Amino acid sequence: MARSAASARDGPREPDKTRDERDDVSRAEMTGPPALSVEGFTKRFGDGDDAVTAVDDVSLAVERGSVVGLLGPNGAGKTTLIKCALGIVIPDAGSVRVFGTDVRDGRKTAYADVDAMLEGARNDYWRLTVRENLRYFATISGVDPDSVAARHDRLLDRLDLADKADTPVRDLSRGMKQKVSLASVLAGGAELVFLDEPTLGLDVESARTLRAELRRLAVEEGLTIVVSSHDMTTIEAVCDRVVMLSNGRIVADDTVEALLGGADRDIVRVASPDLDDDTVAGLRDAFDVRAVDRESRPPAITVVAGGDRLYDLTDALRAAGVTVSDLRTVQPDLEDVFLERTGVASDAGLGGASR
Amino acid sequence: MSNDASRPDAAAADGASANGVVGDSYAAVDEGHRPATYYHLTRAVLYREFLIFVRYPANAVGGIVVSLFFFAALFLGGQLLAGQALTDSIEGIVVGYFLWTLSVGAYSSVSNDIGSEVQWGTLERHITTPFGFAPVALLKGVAKVVRTFLTSAVILAVMLVVTGTGLSLAPLTVVVVAGLSITSVLGLGFAAGGVTVLYKQIGNWLNLLQFGFVALISAPVFDLPWTRVLPLAHGSAMLQRAMVDGVRLWEFPLADLALLVSVAVGYLIGGYFVFEYATARARRLGVLGDY
Repeated sequence: MARSAASARDGPREPDKTRDERDDVSRAEMTGPPALSVEGFTKRFGDGDDAVTAVDDVSLAVERGSVVGLLGPNGAGKTTLIKCALGIVIPDAGSVRVFGTDVRDGRKTAYADVDAMLEGARNDYWRLTVRENLRYFATISGVDPDSVAARHDRLLDRLDLADKADTPVRDLSRGMKQKVSLASVLAGGAELVFLDEPTLGLDVESARTLRAELRRLAVEEGLTIVVSSHDMTTIEAVCDRVVMLSNGRIVADDTVEALLGGADRDIVRVASPDLDDDTVAGLRDAFDVRAVDRESRPPAITVVAGGDRLYDLTDALRAAGVTVSDLRTVQPDLEDVFLERTGVASDAGLGGASR
Repeated sequence: MSNDASRPDAAAADGASANGVVGDSYAAVDEGHRPATYYHLTRAVLYREFLIFVRYPANAVGGIVVSLFFFAALFLGGQLLAGQALTDSIEGIVVGYFLWTLSVGAYSSVSNDIGSEVQWGTLERHITTPFGFAPVALLKGVAKVVRTFLTSAVILAVMLVVTGTGLSLAPLTVVVVAGLSITSVLGLGFAAGGVTVLYKQIGNWLNLLQFGFVALISAPVFDLPWTRVLPLAHGSAMLQRAMVDGVRLWEFPLADLALLVSVAVGYLIGGYFVFEYATARARRLGVLGDY
């Protein structure tokens, strides 16, 4: 958390304080206001009957140094929330504070500590080299680039871009471009960083590397990161805490462990070539059958069968003459949790781009 | 604006004193990052423009070739139609065309730039700058104007050689008069950029305004004195006198210079306010950065 303290010392938020007051501010800020504090935030788009409420009375706080995931289907309000925190969208009601500074009042001051990688954006200049981008965007976010040259070297090293520092971004692979985009967001030393769909369009390997880097940067640099993604793997791998949004409201807000722990853990998946319609109908009468997958080879069903019910299930399967090919417990993932909380069918969409 | 202007400097001073007084215990971790001042911002924006200019010369050369092609068409076509009459007024045409290429560059610098930045996803990052969106956009506009001066100078040189015309090219006078003339256009570009942020389609149509600059450059300022308060008109008349008649900057009547400055500053401030208003409205509507 040294970065927060250092930033308080540089004092862009409190330029006219005396030294003693500033020291108080430093101390206050180390424990002080959360990195992001949203209260009663509401945003509607359009007028009259066509008006759409994108975000509806949302309140949340993100502590310094934490990594929080925003999860939700299209139109849940994730991107609107992020754009509001950046001051790109002004809320209709409520307040958004970044390190205690209201984004609406002291917008420009707040910007010194926040940056974002927005969904699907190039986010940097492809005609400039990697290092030129870092220097340019450090300056734009209010930091003298010469004073953070060492930090840029370290960032490039860490993201495995050191060899490409003097290569124009347009000549890099997609995965590398995404890493440059991330590096340019971190170049100015922002302490609160929003990443909207950071792994979108990356292949499996690049996405895995990026996730590992995010986690490492969060820990080593003491960054506060808010990740919005429909990619559960990214959220589960990177985030301490998950905020689930649906129709502009928060439906869940807890640690990943707590959310997964609270979900139904007593689900088993049974696969067998003998699972015909009659057998399944018979099982449905006696058990809570969650899903039937006739497309898989062999067909499979997912059944709630915790504790002694598991014995009942195996008895029923034997009675029905079902030879089990595969039996496994189903580990709930965040998507299951989301479905439980909202009742939204999965194909309605955690998949696809957010907005 | 005064608040904005003072902030980075205040922060810089504060940062410097704090660095001196408070121990360097954080420095190892933080490498003592210093706030950027407007000097750093100006340097970064101009340097980016310079890099793209030298690294992708084809764009600049292409622009010069197209401009020269239009001029050649104008010159040769005019000779066919007007004969000797055209040759008599060729100096005026060269000066007018020079000013027009400058104006188009200044105008499109802001309005087109915003479109490109939105496509690249870099616009948001210029909005979320502690310097404020408008000052950065203004600096980018100025950077483009500097670049336009370079390309227009090449065009001017070729025009002079091809037509065998001689003009007074006192650098200070030409740069100051032409620069102030197109400052008003920069203001129009800002207003158009603001409108583009709000209404994308209208933004494209606004590009047609560039052809309206021809009328402004050739406005009859002697017969209709009120046209002097329009963008370009008064400056164009002064540039003609400077380049054709060899009048130096300090030889102009004070009233002429005052009007030149007033028109420049007036339109720039007006355009700047339209831009600020439009981006504020785009923030409320949630359309800023959506394209």
